[in-house]
Parts: sequence; structure tokens; C-alpha cells
Amino acid sequence: MDIKDLLQYEKMVKFDLPESEREWIIEQANMLEKSFEALSGIDTDKTEPLISPIEVQNPLREDVAHKTFSRDEILANSPEQYDGYFLVPKTIE
Amino acid sequence: MKNQYYVTKYDVKADNAFALEDNIMVKDGLTTAGSKMLHNYISPIDATVVRKLLDKGMELAGKTKLDEFAVMGVSGDNNELSGVVGAVLDKTCRIALCNDVFGKVRRQAAENCLYYIRPTYGTVSRFGLVQTVSSMDQIGIVCGDLDEGIETLSVIAGHDENDSTTQGDGSLALNSKGPLKEGKYTIGIPVNVMNKTDEKSKEAIKELASKYHTEEFELEHFEVLSQVMYILSSAEIGNNTSRYDGVKFGYRSENYEGLKDLYTNSRTEGFGLNMKLTSIIGAMVLSSGNYEKFYLKAMKIRRQIKEQCDELFKGFDAIAMPLTLDSQDPYVNLALYALAPLCGLPSLSVPLGSNNGVQLISQAMNENVLFDICKGGR
Repeated sequence: MDIKDLLQYEKMVKFDLPESEREWIIEQANMLEKSFEALSGIDTDKTEPLISPIEVQNPLREDVAHKTFSRDEILANSPEQYDGYFLVPKTIE
Repeated sequence: MKNQYYVTKYDVKADNAFALEDNIMVKDGLTTAGSKMLHNYISPIDATVVRKLLDKGMELAGKTKLDEFAVMGVSGDNNELSGVVGAVLDKTCRIALCNDVFGKVRRQAAENCLYYIRPTYGTVSRFGLVQTVSSMDQIGIVCGDLDEGIETLSVIAGHDENDSTTQGDGSLALNSKGPLKEGKYTIGIPVNVMNKTDEKSKEAIKELASKYHTEEFELEHFEVLSQVMYILSSAEIGNNTSRYDGVKFGYRSENYEGLKDLYTNSRTEGFGLNMKLTSIIGAMVLSSGNYEKFYLKAMKIRRQIKEQCDELFKGFDAIAMPLTLDSQDPYVNLALYALAPLCGLPSLSVPLGSNNGVQLISQAMNENVLFDICKGGR
């Protein structure tokens, strides 16, 4: 990983890292990436990926509406709110 | 009331109290997950495990400290005592609940003469647990007395309609009467892992072998377990933490001009360095060019590891894994703790000797076998 790659990943995960953190992250990421190369020696051509450790069918609840949270409860943790809505900066000029 | 292992401590009688890692929610209380990102988050719900324990008449001793989102750092000191281990050790509660994906609590519990029960994936509801690694998250129990841990598991286990991965109430047989098995239990010892452990771990396994019938085997893919675990967990952590954007809850930067700035600055200021590294690695392994090479490959190796475990349990009742390798590096040691979360298997950290112990791992839904072995079933 070089600085160009890191800037691209920062954009994807919405970070704007200070230079001191970038240096450390590139160093750590390169060590990790080098270790990941060991996977290439394992033959997985005939193996299906495993996403979840339990592959039984998930039990589903009845499709019946039930009360969850009120608008006030949902808004209670928001940093800024206005008139029952989450408040964000203007998005359309 | 404060205690060095707690973020919040209540004045209750310890002999009927449980502690929670501060990533498990209690209605109207703070749940920070050890992160500035959630420094002001007031939970609107009780986690299912909390509700079940309160309904049984237990009291909450408090919320304990944890690494940010309980995510392991790949470098530096990983030895600071976990809040849940410290709280039980200090006898400020009977049991403590946490989500130990990366093995720190499993190691520290046994090293401090405590037990840690990490149940089969899907046994205990994760509703109200701050999500970290969805395919590996599972609430477990730190306890000083194994019977108290088993009793707690029997209370918190079972299907919850708020967590669709949870299995039916009858799937986990606990507190069986009498011996579970005719004859001796056979415990598998991974010889290639033992060759890389420190002296302390060799002694613990030796002690185990003196009490039980053990057989050696070669654990395939041990050399890549850390990598598989780190790749898959980083990808899931990156996805699960994308919700923290400074809009609906959690930390919001004071320094922004537009919406994009609000997201970026809130996340940059709100997350610690280790979480930033994890998210960046998550983005890297999921990006085009790396997806097949790293992420898809890791998922395929995960299946091969699980298939090997299925085969192993045809011959062994349990596998014993040591607690530490002959390296202090937390990333290298992660290989010891990856098997249970990657395969959804139950594990029990068992203290042996002084500041020593092993992890016993069994087939899914076979917690009883681990408990019986631990209680002296030969």
C-alpha cells in the first residue's frame, strides 16, 4: 500500500487522516498485506466460500407488525434535530 | 461509585450481580463500546441477555472497560487486563458478559484462574450488542465458578426473534444428569501448534494430558489462521462501522462545511487509530483487485477449516488449544483464538496450574461435553 492507495481507501471509508497516522497505517498495512500473501499457496479451486458458520435455515418470526421505537426515541440520540427530523448541512445549493 | 475495571459502577451486592462489557446495551444508560464515536450514546433498549438476567432477579453491577469496539490491536501491548476479567477477579460481580472475538478474554480468564464460556454461534442472542464482526460475534460468560457460568448460560441461551441467527430453545442441552459418555473422553492436541508455543503453554497441555486420554493431530491451515481471521473480521468491521456518520447518533464533529465534511470529520475524529487501520484493511480486502485474492480466498479457506473441524470431531470429543505462542505479537497469537469464531464452535477457557490454562473446543452445541470434561469426566 502506498499513499495513493491509502488516499483512495480513505475516500471509501470517509476518513481524512493526519500525516502521522498515515505513516503508521501504511507501515502496518504493508506488514499485514505481506502476511496475507501466504493464502495464495492454498488450493481453493474446488471450495465454496463460507460466509456464516451456521448454515441451517434461520428461524423467522411471524410477519406481523409490532411496535418498535417512536420518532422521539429515534431522534433522542441524534447530535442535531429540527422539527422531528435529523438535521444535516444543506446538501442542495 | 467507580472501580478501575468499570466505566459505570452501581452499588449492588456482588453475590447476585452481573457486569457487562460496555458494548452491551442497558435501557437509558450509556453504551460507548469504548469509543469516542459513541461517547454520548444512550441505549433505547435492554439487550436480550440483560432482560433475561434482570428477569431472573439478578442485578447489574456495572459496565466494564474494553478496547475500542472490542477489536484487537495488531501491534503493541495487548496485556492490559480486560474489564470483565478484572471485575470478576475483584469479586465485584458473580459473572460478567462480553463478546470475545479476538481471544483476549479467553486468554486472560484462564491465566487468572477464571473460566470463559464462549458458546456456539447462534446460542445467545446478540440483540443489544454493538455489532462488530457479525459472523463471529457471540456473547460469552466470564466466571470464577463454572457451575455459575453454566447456570447463566441456561438463562441467556435460546431463540430470540430479534436475532434471527439464534437457534431454538431445545438445541442446547445443559446441566445433564450423570455421565455424558461411556468410557474416556478423547482430546486432540494439535502437535504443529504445540511446536510453536511457549514453555508455559506446553506445561498446561502436559498437565491436561496427564489427566485425560489425548491424541496428537496436525491442525491444517494453522499458519494462515491469523490472516483469514483478520481479513474476514476487518471486512465485517468496516461494514458494521460505516453507520457511524455523525447524523443519527454518536459523535459529530464541530468542524464541517458540507455533508461530506460532516461524515469525514466525524469519523476521523471519532475513531481511534486501531479502528482506522481495521477499516482501511477492510476497504482494501473488499476492493476490486484484492477481493478475490484476499476476501473470497479467506472465505474459501474458512470452509476448509470448518470441514476439517467436522472431520476431527468424528474422532475427538474436544480439541485443546494453548493460550500463547512463543511470540508476544498479538497478530501471531490470533491464530490460537480463530478456530472457535471462524467455525462457530463453543470453547471453554480452563485454568490449569498457576496463571496458566487451555482452551477446549468442541463440536457445535456440545457445550455439555466441555463442561463434563472440565468437571473431571475422564
